[in-house]
Amino acid sequence: MKRNAIFAILIATGLLAGCNQSSDQKSGDGRGEKLVIGATMLSMQNEFIVNVSDAMEAKAKEMGVELITVDAERSALKQVEQVESFIGQGVDAIIMNPCEVEASSPAVKLAMDAKIPIINVNSETSAKPTAFVGSDDTESARIAMKYIAEKLGGKGNVLMMHGFMGQAAQIKRDNGAKEILKANPGLKLLAEQSGEWDRAKGMSLTENWIQSYGDKINAIFAQNDEMGMGAVKALEAAGLKNKVLVVSVDAIPDALQAVKRGPLDATVFQNAKEQGGKAIETAVKAARKEAFEKEVLIPFQLVTKGNVGSFLK
Amino acid sequence: MADHILRVREISKSFSGVQALDNIHFDLKKGEVHALMGENGAGKSTLMKILIGLVAPDSGEVLLEGTNLAGNNVNETLKKGISMIHQEILIIPELTVAQNIFLGREKELSGKSGWLSGWLNDSVINQRAAALLDRMGVNIAPDAKMKHLSVAQMQMVEIAKAISNNAKVIIMDEPTSAISDKEVATLFQIIRDLKAQGVGIIYISHKMDEIFRISDTITVLRDGKYIGTKPAAELNHNALIAMMVGREIAQMFPEATQAVGEEVLSVRNLGRAGKFSNISFTVKSGEIVGLAGLMGAGRTEIARAIFGLDQWDEGEITLKTSPLRARTPREAIDRGVGYVSEDRKGLGFIPRMSVKDNITLSSMNNHRKGGFIDKQSEESATEKMIADLKIKTAGTGQHVTYLSGGNQQKVVIGRVLLASPELIILDEPTRGVDVGAKFEIYKLIRSLADRGMAIIMISSELPEILGLSDRILVLSKGKQMALLPKSEATQEVIMRYAVG
Amino acid sequence: MNRLSKLGQYGIFLAFALICLVLALSTPKFFTVSNLLIIGNQVSINALLAFGVTFVIITGGIDLSLGSMVAVTGVAAATFAHPDAYPLVVPLLVGLAAGSAMGAFNGLVITKSKVPPFIVTLGTMTIGRGLALILSKGRPVSNLSDEFNFIGGGNIAGIPFPIIILIVAFAVCSVVLNKTILGRYMYAVGGNEPAARASGIRVSRVKMWVYTICGLLSALGGILLTSRITTGQPNAGAGFELDAIAAAIIGGTSTAGGTGTMTGTLIGALLIGVISNSLDLLNVTSYYQQVVMGVIIIGAVVLDGVGKKD
Repeated sequence: MKRNAIFAILIATGLLAGCNQSSDQKSGDGRGEKLVIGATMLSMQNEFIVNVSDAMEAKAKEMGVELITVDAERSALKQVEQVESFIGQGVDAIIMNPCEVEASSPAVKLAMDAKIPIINVNSETSAKPTAFVGSDDTESARIAMKYIAEKLGGKGNVLMMHGFMGQAAQIKRDNGAKEILKANPGLKLLAEQSGEWDRAKGMSLTENWIQSYGDKINAIFAQNDEMGMGAVKALEAAGLKNKVLVVSVDAIPDALQAVKRGPLDATVFQNAKEQGGKAIETAVKAARKEAFEKEVLIPFQLVTKGNVGSFLK
Repeated sequence: MADHILRVREISKSFSGVQALDNIHFDLKKGEVHALMGENGAGKSTLMKILIGLVAPDSGEVLLEGTNLAGNNVNETLKKGISMIHQEILIIPELTVAQNIFLGREKELSGKSGWLSGWLNDSVINQRAAALLDRMGVNIAPDAKMKHLSVAQMQMVEIAKAISNNAKVIIMDEPTSAISDKEVATLFQIIRDLKAQGVGIIYISHKMDEIFRISDTITVLRDGKYIGTKPAAELNHNALIAMMVGREIAQMFPEATQAVGEEVLSVRNLGRAGKFSNISFTVKSGEIVGLAGLMGAGRTEIARAIFGLDQWDEGEITLKTSPLRARTPREAIDRGVGYVSEDRKGLGFIPRMSVKDNITLSSMNNHRKGGFIDKQSEESATEKMIADLKIKTAGTGQHVTYLSGGNQQKVVIGRVLLASPELIILDEPTRGVDVGAKFEIYKLIRSLADRGMAIIMISSELPEILGLSDRILVLSKGKQMALLPKSEATQEVIMRYAVG
Repeated sequence: MNRLSKLGQYGIFLAFALICLVLALSTPKFFTVSNLLIIGNQVSINALLAFGVTFVIITGGIDLSLGSMVAVTGVAAATFAHPDAYPLVVPLLVGLAAGSAMGAFNGLVITKSKVPPFIVTLGTMTIGRGLALILSKGRPVSNLSDEFNFIGGGNIAGIPFPIIILIVAFAVCSVVLNKTILGRYMYAVGGNEPAARASGIRVSRVKMWVYTICGLLSALGGILLTSRITTGQPNAGAGFELDAIAAAIIGGTSTAGGTGTMTGTLIGALLIGVISNSLDLLNVTSYYQQVVMGVIIIGAVVLDGVGKKD
């Protein structure tokens, strides 16, 4: 047993050493002239975030700066610790894709106190960072709901699928959608329910809604594409897709394909590439003490069958 | 009159129509050890539950020093001075000795009042526990964790707990079931001290020798009825059994009717580090070899080694003509070895399975069609075994938990037999079994031998070893002390060798 | 007492019937053929996982890696399920093999190392999640063939295909548990492991089987999920293990091992499915849904336990 334990520890140490080596190699060469940027991302299990991260990687390569990317795995605590270690390593700038509005704020303060520029990308914290690069979630829902209002001629029954209740994106997309609903008294919100950002849950929810409301449904607004795709699947199975309008947000590749084929009526493109690229640009400028914009807002774009071609690579 | 500390008057109790106790009465004097005897189901445990306030009687009364205890719950009777030491030791292993002794009374002992009394004060309870254990003449550190104690020491702690409650009456339910002979001596010394202090003790045990060694008075119950109370000095073994069973058992140990045959098992110089060494004996077909010795002599360890539950380091075992070295029980069973464990609940049966499922468990290969169970063949094999062994059960589907100890033991024996063994090892086959059922098990063991099986029987009860074995192997501290033919064996000889 | 205990045995069935009755009375949409088919469809994945974990729990073990196995097997199957890439059997076999292998790995570590199943499967839960991300490079695997998507989305004679898979799996699992020697041994191992070993049962072998079967059923669930949402998602199935364990326990499987039935587990899974379906129908907001679900889980087990004491 004891021998087993020692063996296990050896293996674990070996693995760790292996991991360390690879990151050492990255940061080892030419630290003097090359800028080092640390980035902590909300979750590398989320496709959109992965896209932002890829764009950052590409931009960093292009600009000749070194980028260390870590995954906070949706834990604000972990994120704060990661920023702490970036500060400890003495990076030149930090990019943070915050996990939570409040809980990730201490990280911003830590970086500011250490006089290292910190750039929030994609979503906000309550503490003010050096700069913010991203898009306003409220706007995305406004765009989607406006499209629904337009298509229904300002009259009809709408269902809304929320993300995880209480998350910043859910709250903002809810606010944006409700704003437009208020402005269009002809639109009636039949029901709203959380699909927890999940495709299978969105599908189940839509199936249940079909049971409840059947023909009365005119449109479904899903706060992200995953749930929107689930709604499309359920409506297709029930033979109702051509009667119900489905609009969602994010423009993930699956959703773009669906818009191209037809079943998904529209999605709202949040420009991952632009967000990632601008984040790196801003970080580099801040690190070199050049002038930079405090707030870079990347506009959303509505994607419909008419313009989907330009979004598909 | 004044020396009657506890009086039980005309207690009756029935559970869903079944009369568990019918007009029971008995008196306990100050400083008396009063044995309560009876087979399982005689009503002893129900009576004890009534005494400690766990169960309310339908009629009758319990008087403690003249006060009626009616309507009191367990905590109240405990405070008034009736403590019980349970057969299954109820302790909290991660707490210390002192913490266990005073569990539930921390507030009174904290020496503080109000909300401050919620603070634990370990030094106070350690001192009190040390004083208590000292007075009992027991050498146990009060701050030792319970889990590091031996079973006997735990038993002592339970007694200390009872004494610390200022108990006037202490009920001991099978207090020696898990402790060695030496520790029994310590326990009896404590009981004598308690007597001297005027504590009344109700003593429950299946072990006849103990009863005659320690008790002053014996009360016998049978089938929920009061049979009689006699001074211990006026009774002997057989008279007591007759009272308990309701008839005379003429011949406790049946004689062999068949001659001994070929050698089945041969063990040569068997040894396992730290457990036993240099053990050599043989068992022939039709022969019963008894393994005698004190607790820790290595008897069970040898059995486990033969059966493949443990491995051994040196020597060899031969079964019939070829060597046997079972790495798992499965291999031993396939070679024709059966083992009935001393630990019936732990290693014996599966409580939540039926009589049938338990009996066929070792021999499913004989009741299969491919991977599927052949329910018919299984059912008929079980019914035959139930008839053969006279197992009292409501049916093949009855859960084993609900059977009496003797019948549970027969189910385990049935499972072993169904795998058609040539050698059976019976480890304490009558432990926790009623007197009446013991007799049946003796008959069964002898008839198995007469059918040509080779049998090894381990037992701590010398009368059993002497009555049943053809030859007796005596062990002490893992060493083989003697291999006696039946004619040379007496209790004294065996004990002399067993003590080493 | 006797009558009460008899009632207790059927407690879960009664609770289920009672809840269905209440729902049928409170919304006319509940008791319609189409809604019942939808419930069956939604329940199928959880039920498959619950069947697997029922075997495991009966032997006295636990498997927390179900959800991760769903993700790994789903991603693995999806990788081979693009249109015109391989015949349909390839993704199916790949998925099922991946699940069985992970299950067997659980079994191997548990039997060889003597580390408690809770810890081992907690480890494989994390390993599995990592594997799913590695296999998929963090992105959903989409663009799957129509044949593959039929498994989770198709109908045969109006009955959704997942329901057919569910019924077949239920029948097979019931037979394994009740009619085979392996099933008998599972109860024996969970009921008293040392006694089972002393009875000549090869306990390790039984456990290997049980965890492998559990992996296989998780793979079936993973394939079904992937096909239903037409993508292999590396983060799919998170938390599924808890729903599956809940279904088994609601259905009367004791975490102490040695007892449990497939019928009970099926009812448990249906109960969970019916509740979430009907709360959607009644438009109960998701905050309350969680509270109601928890109360019903505890309530069902309490009702089930009333007669089982003694």
